Amino acid sequence: MSKYSVIGTRVHRVDGPEKITGNAKYTFDMVLPNMLYGKILRSPHPHAKILKIDTSKAEKLIGVKAIVTGKDTIGKKQGIWRRFPELCDEEILCREKVRYIGDPVAAVAAVDEDTAEEALDLIEVEYEPLPAVFDPLEAIKEEAPQIHEGVELNINVTRHIEWGDVDEAFKKCDHIREDQFKCSSQAHVCMETHDAVASFDYGGKLTVWTSTQASYYIQALLAGMLGLREGDVRVIKPPTGGGFGSKFELDSTQFCASVLSMKICKPVKIVLSREEEFTATKRRTPMYYYLKLGAKKDGTLLAKEVRVITDGGAYTGMGATALYLTGFFSSFPYKYPNYRYDGYRAYTNTAPTSAMRGFGAPQSTFAGESQLDMMAEDLGIDQIEIRRKNGMTPDYEVPGQAFIQSCGLHQCLDKIDEHIKQRGKLPPNHGIGIASYGFMSGGIFNWFDTPYAFSAALVRINIDGKVDLFTGACDIGQGSDTTLSMICAEELGIGLEDIRIHSGDTGICPADLGAWGSRETLMNGNAVKMAAADAKRQLMEFAAAKLGVNIVYDMDIKDRWIHLVDRPERGVSYFDIVKEAIRGRDGEVIIGRGHYTPHRKGMISPAYSFGVQAAEVAVDVETGRYKLVNVTTAHESGTVINPVGIEGQLEGAIMMAGGYGFCEDQPMDEGKILNPSIADYKLIRSLDMPETEILEVDTYEPEGPFGAKEAGEGLTNPTAGAIANAVYKAVGVRINNLPITPEKVFRALQEKKKKG
Amino acid sequence: MIKDFEYFAPKTLKEALTLLDKYQDEGKIICGGQSLLILMRQGLVAPKYLIDIKGLSELNYIKDAKEGLRLGATTTHRAIEKSPLIQKKYSVLAEMERRLASIQTRNWGSIGGNVCHGDPAGDPAPVLMALNATLTTTSLKGERNMAVEDFCLDYFETALKPGELLTEIQIPAVPPRTGTAYTKFNVIESDLATVGVAVSVTLGSGDGVCQEVRIALGASAPTPMRAKKAEAVLKGKKLTDNLLAEAGEVASTEAEPISDIYASAEYRRELVKVLVRRVAKEALARAKA
Amino acid sequence: MKKELKLTVNGQPYELYVNPKTLLVQVLRDHIGLTGSKRGCNDSSCGACTVVLNGMAVKSCSILAMQANGAEVLTVEGLADGAKLHPLQKAFLDHGAFQCGFCTSGMLMASRALLEENPKPTKEQIKEGIDGNICRCTGYNSIIRAVTAVVKGEYKEAK
Repeated sequence: MSKYSVIGTRVHRVDGPEKITGNAKYTFDMVLPNMLYGKILRSPHPHAKILKIDTSKAEKLIGVKAIVTGKDTIGKKQGIWRRFPELCDEEILCREKVRYIGDPVAAVAAVDEDTAEEALDLIEVEYEPLPAVFDPLEAIKEEAPQIHEGVELNINVTRHIEWGDVDEAFKKCDHIREDQFKCSSQAHVCMETHDAVASFDYGGKLTVWTSTQASYYIQALLAGMLGLREGDVRVIKPPTGGGFGSKFELDSTQFCASVLSMKICKPVKIVLSREEEFTATKRRTPMYYYLKLGAKKDGTLLAKEVRVITDGGAYTGMGATALYLTGFFSSFPYKYPNYRYDGYRAYTNTAPTSAMRGFGAPQSTFAGESQLDMMAEDLGIDQIEIRRKNGMTPDYEVPGQAFIQSCGLHQCLDKIDEHIKQRGKLPPNHGIGIASYGFMSGGIFNWFDTPYAFSAALVRINIDGKVDLFTGACDIGQGSDTTLSMICAEELGIGLEDIRIHSGDTGICPADLGAWGSRETLMNGNAVKMAAADAKRQLMEFAAAKLGVNIVYDMDIKDRWIHLVDRPERGVSYFDIVKEAIRGRDGEVIIGRGHYTPHRKGMISPAYSFGVQAAEVAVDVETGRYKLVNVTTAHESGTVINPVGIEGQLEGAIMMAGGYGFCEDQPMDEGKILNPSIADYKLIRSLDMPETEILEVDTYEPEGPFGAKEAGEGLTNPTAGAIANAVYKAVGVRINNLPITPEKVFRALQEKKKKG
Repeated sequence: MIKDFEYFAPKTLKEALTLLDKYQDEGKIICGGQSLLILMRQGLVAPKYLIDIKGLSELNYIKDAKEGLRLGATTTHRAIEKSPLIQKKYSVLAEMERRLASIQTRNWGSIGGNVCHGDPAGDPAPVLMALNATLTTTSLKGERNMAVEDFCLDYFETALKPGELLTEIQIPAVPPRTGTAYTKFNVIESDLATVGVAVSVTLGSGDGVCQEVRIALGASAPTPMRAKKAEAVLKGKKLTDNLLAEAGEVASTEAEPISDIYASAEYRRELVKVLVRRVAKEALARAKA
Repeated sequence: MKKELKLTVNGQPYELYVNPKTLLVQVLRDHIGLTGSKRGCNDSSCGACTVVLNGMAVKSCSILAMQANGAEVLTVEGLADGAKLHPLQKAFLDHGAFQCGFCTSGMLMASRALLEENPKPTKEQIKEGIDGNICRCTGYNSIIRAVTAVVKGEYKEAK
């Protein structure tokens, strides 16, 4: 029997009723009185000086109410790594130079979208095209054009992680492998494109409704870029149609809509077209990977050297984090006594690359797990065995980097081992490949330079016992509203239906760093738990007094019954105590406050979740086409708060991570993305989705609320690697660059045949 | 952004033809609009006069007779997919429709509109060619009949003249001992063909020699095309596995595919080679059944 | 020049004057105010705008509003019967068959049309039924489970 009443149960999402009836109003649906529609004019050149912008013709078009360019801004550059000004390199509305095809140069507000679009055609921009560079390996050459002033060789971030002595260790290895991999970009393809409604009023206050993962970040960054006080900027997150890492930085819709609105004091709505979504928002960081791995002949891994150069695109965004995390997660999930990572991020004249679910770990896992399988084969060791031999265990310290407390990797390996054995002998040209991963539960870094706690929550108990929960956490579909409500209900000992959550509104919710890096459950969950505990304690004071409880007894609340733990029949109704408590405090409602900021949790994260995924493919050797037959994942994420939510995250991750390995790609020609539409950018649909199976492993994470840690992002790490390994197991060819297309498999099979 | 146009919803074919005749090049027919509206929304096509024939019930029919099947041009893909008659007697048409885009598209889009769109990667054209289909175009001046091959002129270009409207597609009755099959290669199941192949095989009585064969390729040239040299390999012969493979090889040399972001021309040729062999084998099996 | 458009939406008749270039989805969302149907692409590929027109699932972004003249349209807002949720909606809630929710109305309407046409679809047919709809969150399988549960009769009401 579960010791929990709410967490771990299968519940309806708290935002369910509005979403399944079509009543949820997304930013996309918003209409305000006097609202204007905005469109953004974007550079057709990958690299050019802006010589002149003439908006006069556009201004004369009937229905056009405002036009802005970089000259209408206060001329600042912004970036999310606020502590490092050199990484705050993006103006959004360009003043002197454009650096990628799609870089904004002007924005128009008009009475309707068609008029705004027409106006764009009437804006005349004189550019002086500059030489451009599109590949990071080209961009770091001496002769390459400089994309940002003062950034030599276009390398704007480097990262180094090291422990032990890899050079010495390689000398002691029985076998060494050196391999290279190319990891592609990927588009988030949120169903709701980036959008914002900005309304600047005559009182000098700005309200922005926007599809976002981090309303606090948007508030702070907008304030900085507009010269407003943070307190005069309110960012509200309506139901949001997906984020996946694309929506926690300040984007062109929020900024341009705000600048326009400030000019005329009318609400302005900007919605990106799907084409703009593909070409002019940030995307997954493509990476060139070089790996050197050394082991003893019994399979013990002794040393790993990693060198990565990432394609940064035109601006930094969160690219520095992706650069660091890919290097850090290249050491996961194994115990390397010696490790060295050097990462370089190079600007190119392409759409900026930044954060996407997995944040550098899908890339590192693809490369690392592919190489590990190759190493295992070289040594004649089973793929599971080599992972068992080196896999992380609970209470392991990654030297100087991270403390791993709970870790269920070995149980996951056992489950997948069993799963593969159960599958038995496979038909010809079928193969099962595996990949292991570990991922973080939110980051400890404060490069945003926030003075606030990383997560905070407020619980307010009303006279009828109904609770309002205020949190800055952003539900972008991943279900944080439900999960956090469940944590609150569990801690307070009441029902999920007694909680009403208010989230993502900077005007009323305490700041939270947002939904990225898989942080909400652990970090915000801890804050919510603390807030609920604070409110509970206040209730308990009254209950203890009312019941005249002996000091030796503990009290608790469960199922709305405040009682003695040892004598549960002795108690009083939660509802009664709430009433008495409020009366007893001059009519003040009970407020509980909570917050969480990781302290001394290593260099990366307070906790890590682990898993092993097995992908089965069936290859048509005559064409190279393969089908994703089955993807089975054994994973552990501490205590499962919201089981329906976790299942959804896992299956959804397979669609996205599977796509990364299987079919998604953004081919470019001279900086121009060639497939900026849903028809042309291949996505897994229902007929393509493999059978999925989830094998839960039970663990408990002391850092997390009720023992919970992340589940949702880590699950995007292994699939590309598992597919690569599966194709190899099926037909003996290895594809080291993503995506693994039928043509690549076909060519590799032909090569293999030629070699005899 | 769709540009403004003048809209007509003629109630009869005659009305539609009169409007087409009046507006010539400036007029455009819309039926299901599943292809046309995309172009119009992206501003690639901007007709001044739009003539909506979706409501022309006189062009919406599936008629079977001794001579064969007649499809009205505005018949939806879904109607063809679901027609018990077509599933029984011209099953390859229903199979092809089942993999065409999505149910939503098939519910509204028409077979006539698809053929007139002239996409070389379209599914219906190669299948119609394999079935030896003809079609009728009508204007105020009268009717023209031609084979589907002759209708597809170039990349997104058909033989439709100004003032003309595709009104009917005719599929001759399937001779005995005939099998027809179609497949397309793609990565995502319901996607447009990277390469499409339709083959029809008619066996002679008794000796099992191939009497008639038609091999049609989609997405392998600027238009859907017949691989006539490959057909010559098979016609009049007993169809062995080796011969089918040879036909595939020859078809791959006849194809003129492009290289794009999905596949190189060489890979498309390889696919033609494999798929022609496979589809011909399937057609042969159906002919024997 | 605007043209008269008469159609029934969720059982309610409407009389409108529209520019003929108006798409059905624009009439539903912008003119009538039913924002449940969404738009997620510009090339008829995502299915978020799916509604049921004369009993058929169609993409409302790919139909000129004028072609819906005289038609009966059902949108997600018309699925529930007053305060009573449709079995598909209940099943979606139970199975967590949605996350961000942006594709959900399209999924519901495609499924509704499928079940009206074929009350006992196979799993493959259920998949085909929503193959025209992209979901970036769920991985589809929970949606398929929800529809399957309805097909199995788990939401049949006691008469």
